[in-house]
Amino acid sequence: MSFTRTMVQDLRVRLAGADPLPPPPPVPEIPLPPARVFPSPKRRSPFAAAAARHTTALVGIGHVGTRYATDVVLQFQAELAVAHGAVHTELPEDWAEKNGLLPLQSRVREHREFLLRPDLGRRLDEPSVARLRERGRKGVDIQPILADGLSAVACMGAGRELLDSFVKSCEARGFSVGTPVCARFARVWLEDEIGEVVGAKVAAILLGERPGLGTGDGLSAYLVYDPKVGRTDGNRNMMSNIHARGVPPEQAGKRLAALAGAMLTQRTSGVPLDLAPLRGELGDAVGGGYRAPDPRVRLVSVGEPK
Amino acid sequence: MILDPIVPRILSVRRIPGADPALLRAYGADPERHRALGLITCDQDDPTYVALDEATKHAAVDVVFARSFYAGSGHASGRLSGEILGVLAGADADEVDEGLAALVRCLEHDACFYKADDKGTITVFPHVIASLGRYLSAQAGLVAGQPMAYLVAPPMEATVGLDAALKAADVRAVKVFPPPTETNFAAAWLSGELAACQAAAEAFAAAVIEVGRVPRER
Amino acid sequence: MNLSATIRGVVYRFGSVKEVLAKANPPKSGDDLAGVSAREPVERVAARAVLADLTLAELRQHPVVPYEVDELTRLVEHSLDAAAYDAVKHLSVGQFREWLLDTRTDGPTMRAVAPGLTPEMAAATCKLMSNMDLMVVGAKAQVVVRANNTLGLPGRLSSRLQPNHPTDDVDGILYSAREGLSYGCGDAVIGVNPATDTPESTAQILTRLHDLRVRNAIPTQHCVLSHVTVQMKALDLGCPMDLMFQSLAGSEKANKAFGISVGLIDEAYDKMRRLTSNRGPNVMYFETGQGSALSSDAHHGADQVTMEARCYGFARRYKPFLVNTVVGFIGPEYLEDGPQITRAGLEDHFMGKLLGLPMGCDACFTYHARMSQDELETLKVLLGAAGCTYLMSLPVGDDIMLNYQSTSFHDIPSVRGLLGKRAAPEFDAWLCERGILDGDKPGERFGDPTVLQ
Repeated sequence: MSFTRTMVQDLRVRLAGADPLPPPPPVPEIPLPPARVFPSPKRRSPFAAAAARHTTALVGIGHVGTRYATDVVLQFQAELAVAHGAVHTELPEDWAEKNGLLPLQSRVREHREFLLRPDLGRRLDEPSVARLRERGRKGVDIQPILADGLSAVACMGAGRELLDSFVKSCEARGFSVGTPVCARFARVWLEDEIGEVVGAKVAAILLGERPGLGTGDGLSAYLVYDPKVGRTDGNRNMMSNIHARGVPPEQAGKRLAALAGAMLTQRTSGVPLDLAPLRGELGDAVGGGYRAPDPRVRLVSVGEPK
Repeated sequence: MILDPIVPRILSVRRIPGADPALLRAYGADPERHRALGLITCDQDDPTYVALDEATKHAAVDVVFARSFYAGSGHASGRLSGEILGVLAGADADEVDEGLAALVRCLEHDACFYKADDKGTITVFPHVIASLGRYLSAQAGLVAGQPMAYLVAPPMEATVGLDAALKAADVRAVKVFPPPTETNFAAAWLSGELAACQAAAEAFAAAVIEVGRVPRER
Repeated sequence: MNLSATIRGVVYRFGSVKEVLAKANPPKSGDDLAGVSAREPVERVAARAVLADLTLAELRQHPVVPYEVDELTRLVEHSLDAAAYDAVKHLSVGQFREWLLDTRTDGPTMRAVAPGLTPEMAAATCKLMSNMDLMVVGAKAQVVVRANNTLGLPGRLSSRLQPNHPTDDVDGILYSAREGLSYGCGDAVIGVNPATDTPESTAQILTRLHDLRVRNAIPTQHCVLSHVTVQMKALDLGCPMDLMFQSLAGSEKANKAFGISVGLIDEAYDKMRRLTSNRGPNVMYFETGQGSALSSDAHHGADQVTMEARCYGFARRYKPFLVNTVVGFIGPEYLEDGPQITRAGLEDHFMGKLLGLPMGCDACFTYHARMSQDELETLKVLLGAAGCTYLMSLPVGDDIMLNYQSTSFHDIPSVRGLLGKRAAPEFDAWLCERGILDGDKPGERFGDPTVLQ
């Protein structure tokens, strides 16, 4: 650095104290803030109202600049929080016994491992195998399994009701039903090993489904004939969207019993199972695998319900 | 920003290894001692005078010619003209090369004008030479090796600034160039101890900036 | 060929190029699940050191799935451009990374080299790059494609409008589509994932979308993302189809699980070129995503980044109009959290562009992955800055059929505004003409779906 440049730089620092900032720009006139644009049920745009008859997608919601109105943000965050809450809730270890169910657990030890290791969630741990061998009824027609899956909230919510309805409907049809079990950290394919250990003809796992926005309480059911480790999805039939606003648990239990009956009669399940004779009994919930539209309810309101 | 350096743009640098004696004589060189010439044009004249002087400290070269152009680089005769032509002369091309290298180094890293207001519409050259070379010492009538403050600014700013500089430290005006110079600036050379030259240069720069902020007192 | 490196006196030896590639990968839960990832961070760096020294020629000689057992490996080998390959084959992966980052290496130069690169080369380079490296090179790469409009031009950011519906109620689909168009979305494609995979429903949705497009003179494309065999039958029904879609995977075995092969896609491409309703020349749309090979146990012991790159080696055969990775859809067992999903999005975009594809990205998460909404919004901006060709767009980003969270109608104009980007030129002109945009600002009819009939 040259002598003069160093000198000038020091001078600049010293002069900076006397260097006044440019005057602030004049305050412009402040326009009125935007009106709230989220269409409350009372004043929804005709477009949003018409769309709501055809889709649950959040359309006709307006915008502030290019972003959401505050109401939309809150509704969205509430829906997201419900979904995340469902995923991250664990089934308490004593929940099964408190509900009179035989407790089982997969080889998964904790929740993060459950999310990351589907392979471990498909197999029983050794104490569970021993317990099932010792206390489970063998050689039954139907082995019912309640499980947490991806939403323990759903399992603890409508799970018991669905299980009871299913067991009752099976018994009413004259099927022998295995000891009701409840599996923790369970993936769908865990039903293969459980069914195999007790030698059931059909294994039925009822478990919390992957939550969508605002819906953490949905259950799915997967049934497989002649359960054995190594079965694939092609061997299964499933019913999804079981909750109060979709297929109610009571009704779902009956339909699942009819599905199990078809498996026992046709001695198969999955792709080869002919569902045509059952159409009337099953409704449209079985087979397709897609979710029926789930009505969008407004989750947030300030204050307490009257 | 105020006091940001405005780095000089060196527009052309050429050398003539064996110059014609007629040319040598016309540009003030001595054909007996000088055979090679080094030439430079630049868009800032005063930094170039300082840099030419610097070259005499690093090589056996003489500054035989250095002239500013009328109205400065804003009105140049061509894109390489800038506002000054400087000529070094030496016994051979190698000496001239050494001199040119020192000259360029000085222009790139040392001598330059600075902004005296935010937009750079006023500029100031508050340069302190710690040790004079053979060229400027002869011009100023000082001894080589002495310090000197080399101060340049536009007419009004320079005049107010020079007064402030002379009052700020124990310095003596060895030469004052009132406006208009070729480039329409005004300038002064002050002599004194190094610390005094520095204090004078700082006072000059501060006064130039202050005039820019308050051009009219009434 | 050297397969060992020493760090602080510890010698790390690797058994194969495939192992080096896998262990050089940044952490991914899917690689852990496959058991191929580095055991600890220093081993990962050792693998990268070995990888940096391998030449591109050595990578060509060691594809992660053997030539004899895999048609994708054979496809890449047979279609490699000799002149482009010869220009770079001598470079080590480390040198190639530096060549890509060099400012003198511009988009057209990269595009010229692309046909000489194998997917393994792209994957290897990716592993030596930080997120910002991936963005800097990705932003330089320029792949321009044309159908009814032009995608991939500099300064442009496009979006796929994804108006999915859980029961394929076409009126419901159209309500979402109109809403999205009024936010300036849909210049890449209006593409519906159908709930029912039949030729008739595919043809019905296509016809109605086509009507919407024609009625409003929208310069874009439409597509229904059913299985390619279903779309071929829909074409036989005589319906208009601007783009033909298929999901691709990175090995012959994994593609078999998808019910496809090179022969089948060749046939579909041939048919589409004859029967498409778009002006072309690009007529295909592909989706990919890290982890799909492992999920059908068809990864052949390779890591998911390399398997993903192999999808692009497959896709480029068909000069597609659109290719995007669906980066967080597969779930936390493959990409665990925000950082992994972010990294994967930038990796896939980089590799796709490097291999000459008009790469877009579905930046998304499922609700059981550990990624926040804020992290997802960040990723959309990063992708936009990295020159991503297009993002998705849905009402509030919420797919009411597939149950995951992606880009919203509102995000597209927001990201464009932040980065000074605009829609595809033909579409942009249409937006201005309809009053949806006023120059680069929202216009009078912005967000007003009744602007569309």
